[in-house]
Amino acid sequence: MSMSEQQTLKQQVTLLELVDRVLNKGVVVSGDITLSVAGVDLVYVGLRVLLSSVATLEEPRERISAAGAAP
Amino acid sequence: MIAPTATLPRKGLGWYLYGVAAADEASARLGAGLAAGAAQEVELVAEGPLVGVASRVSLEEFDEQALPDRLSDATWLEQKIRTHEHVLERVLEHASVVPCRFGTVYRGEVELRRFLSERGEALEAALDRVRGKVEVGVKAFVDRDRFAAGRARQNDDIRQLEAQASTAEGGRAYLERRRLEQLVASELERFRGEATDRIHTRLMSAAEDGLVLPLQAPELSGRAEEMVFNGAYLVTADRVGFEEALGSLARDIRDDGIDLELTGPWPAYNFVPEELGAG
Repeated sequence: MSMSEQQTLKQQVTLLELVDRVLNKGVVVSGDITLSVAGVDLVYVGLRVLLSSVATLEEPRERISAAGAAP
Repeated sequence: MIAPTATLPRKGLGWYLYGVAAADEASARLGAGLAAGAAQEVELVAEGPLVGVASRVSLEEFDEQALPDRLSDATWLEQKIRTHEHVLERVLEHASVVPCRFGTVYRGEVELRRFLSERGEALEAALDRVRGKVEVGVKAFVDRDRFAAGRARQNDDIRQLEAQASTAEGGRAYLERRRLEQLVASELERFRGEATDRIHTRLMSAAEDGLVLPLQAPELSGRAEEMVFNGAYLVTADRVGFEEALGSLARDIRDDGIDLELTGPWPAYNFVPEELGAG
């Protein structure tokens, strides 16, 4: 793997981490005072668009329920 | 710096809210020089003890009708996501922050202020929870060859099979190798089941809070090795104790073929309330 390929890979990983957090987590403010993006599966849309070179998007193999979970 | 959006008609502007911080922390330490990116000015909208970290944005840009098209524009989306994170990271250097989800846009300053005041109590509680702390991500990946070698040291059956497979010939060698692969696979399956306990429990002891997150497929993780654990932790901002615990865990499981990957520090995306309605 060339240096530039490694660089691209690393950037993509960072972007994925970002997408997962920025689109999928954080406080959601719902109500009529905001423009609503509710109903849009942001993380799915984001991953599909940003990682469009990826042929398949699998669901995670297993969803482990959170231990000591957030509220 | 003058935001390009400032040239648009005033009524076409809304407020994009990145996150919420405490006024005493944010105003004193952040000052006015918080630049979002090349083209966007970030402002602190103070309301009582809280400040909203926000930028004026074109309402058309985030309009419900226009958004689906915008979202399919990879360049636009990536730039907005990076700006969102960049602003919050700048804030995080100086103050604790409750991060908002992407695309939180208020129609006007009145609406933004109303949210900050009406939800003030819940926002302050959320801030208290993350005060002086940051989020880090920990992923564990398994290298199959090293895993098999590590298991062979502990498991007589695997060691025997390896020896047989290496001396056998033809069809027999194939069968021995298949049996070996199956045995390693079942050991790996067992390890996956225990990974949460082995990794999460130990990291939790050095963290304020933590979450086990869904695993990512190799196409998404960007690594050829299989992911066996994915977690997020809320840790003290200096991260010293947590990184010590992580280092000692990494040494303990390295011989099993497990590598740990640390990301962050992040704003505490995973440790804030998911929903704060506008009431």
